[in-house]
Amino acid sequence: MRIRIKAIAAAAAVAALALTGCSTGGAGGGGDDDTFKVIAFTSGNQTPVGAWWVKAVQEKADELGWDLTMIQGDFDFQKMNPAVESAIGQGADAIFNGYTDYASISSIITAAKDANIPMFAMDAGTEATDGFALNITADQQGIVDQTVDEIDTTLGGLEGKNIMVIGHDPHPGIRLRAGLAAEAFEAAGANIAGGSIQKVTSPATGRTEALALVTDYLQANPGGLDAVWVGWDDAALGAAQALNEAGSDAVVTGVDATSEAIAAIESGGTFLATVEQPWPSILDTVIEAMVAYQESGTMPSSNFDAVATTLVDKANASTITPSDKL
Amino acid sequence: MTTTQNPGIEDASRTRAVPRRSVGQTLLSSGTVLALVVLVVFFFAMRPDVFLTFTNVRNILYQVAILAIIAGAQSLVMVVGDFDLSVAATSALAGAVAASLMLGGMPVVLAILIALAVGLLIGIANGLLVAYLNLSAFVATLATLTSVTGLAYLVTEGTTLFNLPPEFNALGQGRFLEIPLPVFFAIAILLILWFVLKYTTLGRRWYATGGNVEVSRLSGVNVRRARLLAFAFAGLVSAVGGILLAARLGSASAVQGEDNLLFSVAAVFLGMTVIRSGAANIVGTVVGVAIIGVMSNGLNILGVNAYVQQVVTGLIIIAAVTLSSFKSRER
Repeated sequence: MRIRIKAIAAAAAVAALALTGCSTGGAGGGGDDDTFKVIAFTSGNQTPVGAWWVKAVQEKADELGWDLTMIQGDFDFQKMNPAVESAIGQGADAIFNGYTDYASISSIITAAKDANIPMFAMDAGTEATDGFALNITADQQGIVDQTVDEIDTTLGGLEGKNIMVIGHDPHPGIRLRAGLAAEAFEAAGANIAGGSIQKVTSPATGRTEALALVTDYLQANPGGLDAVWVGWDDAALGAAQALNEAGSDAVVTGVDATSEAIAAIESGGTFLATVEQPWPSILDTVIEAMVAYQESGTMPSSNFDAVATTLVDKANASTITPSDKL
Repeated sequence: MTTTQNPGIEDASRTRAVPRRSVGQTLLSSGTVLALVVLVVFFFAMRPDVFLTFTNVRNILYQVAILAIIAGAQSLVMVVGDFDLSVAATSALAGAVAASLMLGGMPVVLAILIALAVGLLIGIANGLLVAYLNLSAFVATLATLTSVTGLAYLVTEGTTLFNLPPEFNALGQGRFLEIPLPVFFAIAILLILWFVLKYTTLGRRWYATGGNVEVSRLSGVNVRRARLLAFAFAGLVSAVGGILLAARLGSASAVQGEDNLLFSVAAVFLGMTVIRSGAANIVGTVVGVAIIGVMSNGLNILGVNAYVQQVVTGLIIIAAVTLSSFKSRER
């Protein structure tokens, strides 16, 4: 008898909770079919810029009253892709891809196309692709022009100089700009140290790999470097440390404008310059395009844009907001 | 007068004493050590002006000092017959904790002590999971690896912490007699680990546990406590490695030193082929670390492409272990 009463009481409590849940849920989502439903995803949430993007998109979605589903991939495409495809299967008005290269998400692109949902993106590839309604990224050639010119000016010319180029192939932006940089140096008459682009195998250990590469290269070729061009700041800091320890007066450039790189530039010496990529303004532009689509179904006139970047050197370093402090 | 022989007791007078081998004899009979010697000779022959110079040898030692410490931690756990997949993650978290505390104004020594305590706690957690909850070491330490990396991301807020106090950075970047301090730390830690394993009761209990858990238990060894202590020490030693790595780079990130995990396992396995019993051992681990360091440095000096280097590294490890197994079949 006591057990029965307890069971009935428990069932009543559960029912009450369920009904409460239903009513609050209903007031929010169930009643309003005009809410703009967006699926946002990034594989890069573990990087400072990726983490910033997640927060920034959530804020924008709140401001604009969007129904946002945010999927964070942790660089695990095996986990992320099915999660995004499943969200697509449940329906959405638009998709927003942050920093996830289109080469890694062809199954998501197919699902989006099949469901007729446009995908907007930022920094999701280095060239136009019909998988995206819009993809805005930084202009890699511009990044190369700025950094190569800076090295050229500092060294008083590139002819005959020994320049090491350090890249990381799995990242399409870094791969593209490292290739362009090597071409630019060769075209200007410089020698590429080691004969080809030095490759870092893992972004997690980029700093120590670059440190070892430069240290061992200088060991084998004493005084054999005039500059090191690196595709991103973390590895550039490793290269700079190696040069300092070896007592070399070669200079280093990176890309990303992280706070540590900016601090190194401001202190003068080996680390010469980095590049700021205007993520906040790119985000605003993509959001504007999505709002235009939301309001009138208008698609952007072009599905790809590469925007100009800013060279960060000692002169303007103090005015730049670091990319890990956005 | 009659002498009786008790048939149950082995007649020791007929047993030929096996002569004890010196460390040198042990090393020279090992195929793995020969592989190291071959590598050194090869790289020296390719670049005699560079490879065995003082500065290059110093570079090699500097490049492998942290790995040697992490591999020492891994050796402890492998002696008791387990694995620790979380050594690199623990080292990264310890470095991140120390950095975060120092940036918050805490004195260097206290920050280091707290970071060491964090490593010890993770090691104890691993030990409890494996020794007392009977989880497989692989699964338990894989889980702690995941969680610990997440904690490291939280501590660093996903960024790289830098601007560490110069007196802290000096631990990793300073030199004594022209040799970087991390090399001295690595030598000291490895000597301590070697001493504990070879000459203390704890070390003997660890080897016994690794040799045969059931026999050890029946012989009165507290097997659970032995395994717990092995993991605890491994966590502490990994933390030392992580703190030194943060000092070496002057910065701390959540995934710093990630490659030390697989290299530490490779080094210990290479080292296991050095001694006859095939058990994990510090001297062998040092040989394994040396092979990895010499290969990486030598291939960089020869300008070998990084991707080719990875392929070659794996092949040389296979060759070293195979060479060693041929030699042991000869005996």
